[in-house]
Amino acid sequence: MELEEVLCSKPRVKILKLIYTLGQLNVSDIGRRLNLNYSATSDHIHILESEGILELRTYGRVRMYRLSSSEKAQAIANLIETWEKQTP
Amino acid sequence: MSSSSSYSVFRDESKLDINYIPAKLPHREKELRLLGEFFNFIVQCPTQMTQRVILTGDVGTGKTALAQSFGADLTSQTRRKNLKFHYVHINCREFRGSLQPILHKIVTVFRPTYPARGYAADEILTVLMQVLDEEQTTLIVTLDEFDSLIEKEGSDAVYKLTRVHETRQGQPQRLSFIFIMRDLTAVEHLDDSARSTLQRNIIRLQRYGKSQLVDILTDRAALAFVLGAVEEDVLDLAAELAHSETGNARFGIELLWRAGKYADAAELGRISAECIRSAISAIIPTMHRSELAALDFHEKLFLLAIARYFKENQEAYVQIGEAEKAYQVICEEYEEPPKSHTQIWLYVQYLSKLGVLRAEVASVETRGRANRISLPYLPAAELEQEIQSSLQGKR
Repeated sequence: MELEEVLCSKPRVKILKLIYTLGQLNVSDIGRRLNLNYSATSDHIHILESEGILELRTYGRVRMYRLSSSEKAQAIANLIETWEKQTP
Repeated sequence: MSSSSSYSVFRDESKLDINYIPAKLPHREKELRLLGEFFNFIVQCPTQMTQRVILTGDVGTGKTALAQSFGADLTSQTRRKNLKFHYVHINCREFRGSLQPILHKIVTVFRPTYPARGYAADEILTVLMQVLDEEQTTLIVTLDEFDSLIEKEGSDAVYKLTRVHETRQGQPQRLSFIFIMRDLTAVEHLDDSARSTLQRNIIRLQRYGKSQLVDILTDRAALAFVLGAVEEDVLDLAAELAHSETGNARFGIELLWRAGKYADAAELGRISAECIRSAISAIIPTMHRSELAALDFHEKLFLLAIARYFKENQEAYVQIGEAEKAYQVICEEYEEPPKSHTQIWLYVQYLSKLGVLRAEVASVETRGRANRISLPYLPAAELEQEIQSSLQGKR
């Protein structure tokens, strides 16, 4: 997927910002915090996971997503950090 | 948190707060060293073994302060040696002695967004071990008021906690415990296997003697009050009163705080013996602020209703139906929907067990039996004030 396709979705960018801020979260929690339904949240997360930006951690039956250690994820983290710093 | 008044006797009243842990604990040096010996392996060979220690002693003998002070010392010691270690202190009574939320609370120290509901204690315990492995850290968990957990969950929970490493043969040992209990009677009710995992290392904290209480209060006063605000004989009186209250240092510290408030209210600029006497007559003898703070919102509302009822009516007892009506009025005041009758009955039982109020069955003419409530141990006005200040900001 091209960069513009990944980042053209507002919910996906919101998911990335949320995970960047809170570390790791499960799908329901992400959906609740962003006011998205489960299915839409799950779809967005799978796209981000398949792009190698997010990775899954499993704790028993709990599945939590966090930014992966890939260069793409690092670049996204840098982007969010810089952007948040500049935004009053 | 200095007081802003120019005549205030306080330099920093937070030093008299129930949660303040002083840098040194007078007359507990031996026990602190003993704890250090029990947990020495965390510095020497961190993942090779685990330990369980019981701290026991009467109210105000320094159990909580000792554990927290030890935890802070060990944290800085391990940090200096670049060892990964965490100390977590949990009061089981705040979680009504339920194992699942206690374990969840520990997990959230490492994974703050871990979901709260829907997972059994066993699962969360496994998750905790996984998280400790991921973090490559060792952990001491202090379970304060551990008797409430034994009472609620029984032998199974103790067994699960203390035997968690048996299912992890060959893996790093990461989880140790300090259990804090007022006495060991709860342990006697456990089955043999659970009891045997607990009773190896017991540290008993003896009641403080009067001269020890003088030392403790002198140290604390030096931190909390401005120079010259408390005379030696006043500290002596406070220590005497704390000594008569079963050697309870917390009682003495709370007494000093309250006496300081009386001194400020009268703009005296120093704490007199009369301030101590006023404070002792007003202090709540059987229920301290920490216990009140641990009640949930609706329990506080219900207790506030009882306090108001007895303050406004010169009666010794209130029927549960009347108490419920008073509670509904309080709920209206706080814009909260009232809980059901059954839930209120549970509140009565719980508060009665805590020793805050007394519930009894009395026969009522022509209509059989009814439950009635009394408030034999606490002045109603004082209780009302305490609850209102603890509810501040929740309206």
